[in-house]
Amino acid sequence: MAAEAIVAAVDVGMTVEQIAASQLGMKAIGAGIAVGLTGIGSGVAEMGIGSAAVGAVAENKDMFGLALLFTVIPETIVIFGLVVALLLLFV
Amino acid sequence: MVGVRGISAPYIYVCTRMRVRKAKLIPKEEYQRMLNMGLPEITRIIGETEYKQEIDELGTTFKGIDLIEVALSWNLAKEYQKIQEITPGNLKQFTQAYLRRWDIQNVLTIFRGRMQGSATGKIKEILVPAGSLDTKALDRLLAEDNPERIIEALKGHHMYPVLVREYPYAKESGSFSRMENELFKQFYAEIITGAESGIKGGNLFLDFIRLDIDVKNLKTLFRLRADACEEDAREMYIPGGALSATNFSNLILIRNQGEFIDMLKGLYRQKALLALLDEIREEKTFRDAEIRLTRVQLEQMERMSKRHPISIHPILVYLEKKKYEVFNLRALARGKESKLPSEKIVNYLVM
Repeated sequence: MAAEAIVAAVDVGMTVEQIAASQLGMKAIGAGIAVGLTGIGSGVAEMGIGSAAVGAVAENKDMFGLALLFTVIPETIVIFGLVVALLLLFV
Repeated sequence: MVGVRGISAPYIYVCTRMRVRKAKLIPKEEYQRMLNMGLPEITRIIGETEYKQEIDELGTTFKGIDLIEVALSWNLAKEYQKIQEITPGNLKQFTQAYLRRWDIQNVLTIFRGRMQGSATGKIKEILVPAGSLDTKALDRLLAEDNPERIIEALKGHHMYPVLVREYPYAKESGSFSRMENELFKQFYAEIITGAESGIKGGNLFLDFIRLDIDVKNLKTLFRLRADACEEDAREMYIPGGALSATNFSNLILIRNQGEFIDMLKGLYRQKALLALLDEIREEKTFRDAEIRLTRVQLEQMERMSKRHPISIHPILVYLEKKKYEVFNLRALARGKESKLPSEKIVNYLVM
């Protein structure tokens, strides 16, 4: 795969250093997209849950613990994104 | 702040609050328990629920049935005002429009109270300042002795033209029923115009109002049959619902009960309503059908609010359910005060 990329890069006149830098850049963009999109997804999900949770807590203070728990459940999505980003960058 | 598919966070917040409040309403089993209690015990039970603050505050001034009456009215007004405060944007507009029906009720209560010579304090006890007329405005109206002066004090209000037009007839006949009907017609016409003006969420509000108008027309039809009223009842028809004026006029003229029910069944599609119509087919009078119709209406409203969980529906369902909770508690307390048997009182409860 890497050999094919090098052959293709040589064809368009790139050096090996440039290819390595380009690969690193692509990984960084992928990691950014993974964290960014999952962050947006979590935000959208938490908007609904969070506002409902605040509403429920405003009426019944005992709901606080449960409401907080439900609100942070979508955080798992962004953690998946973060894991993917770390795998891309460091593995 | 607009979220996914145009549903914003404040809408979700308010609808959840309404749902939690609805869950806190007194359940059916509690009413069954209260039916076997005396007035002091009922007061104590009410004092342990959401009415605690009012019962505690008024406990030193009022006693017995008066305490319950005033505490319920205060709580209802407070609740409705609070809801108007927390509802955002268009929902607030719809809620305020819907609560304007209390203006009609309050003004008519003052008129009727004055006509019967009731004491100002007694009238004030049953007023619910939930509409556009607040406590101060109602106090100003209560300070007037003469109905003409009460009408003058309402100059500039929505109701003023209808009050001026209808008062001479009410004075002559000694009954405010026609005025009430005309005020409700105006109220519904204004709401429908407002909802159809293209405001977002107006269609859903309109569905709710149409159901309300249909139920009101049906109740009128049931009442007319129960009282065998001979006067021209076509004026009692409220336009805007699924029932047309022609069908309403035709239904009044039908004498045979079976035919009446069959025609109604052909006009409506709601399963719960059709089931109710089948139930009352064999009954001699429609006197208790009104309460059952209210139950069907609440069921239907509940269904609508589940279909549109983030809309005006959960708010309106709560407003209605809260109103009937207060009605139920009042009926219970009054029934117990008049020493009515529990089997009789239960027929007046909307559970």
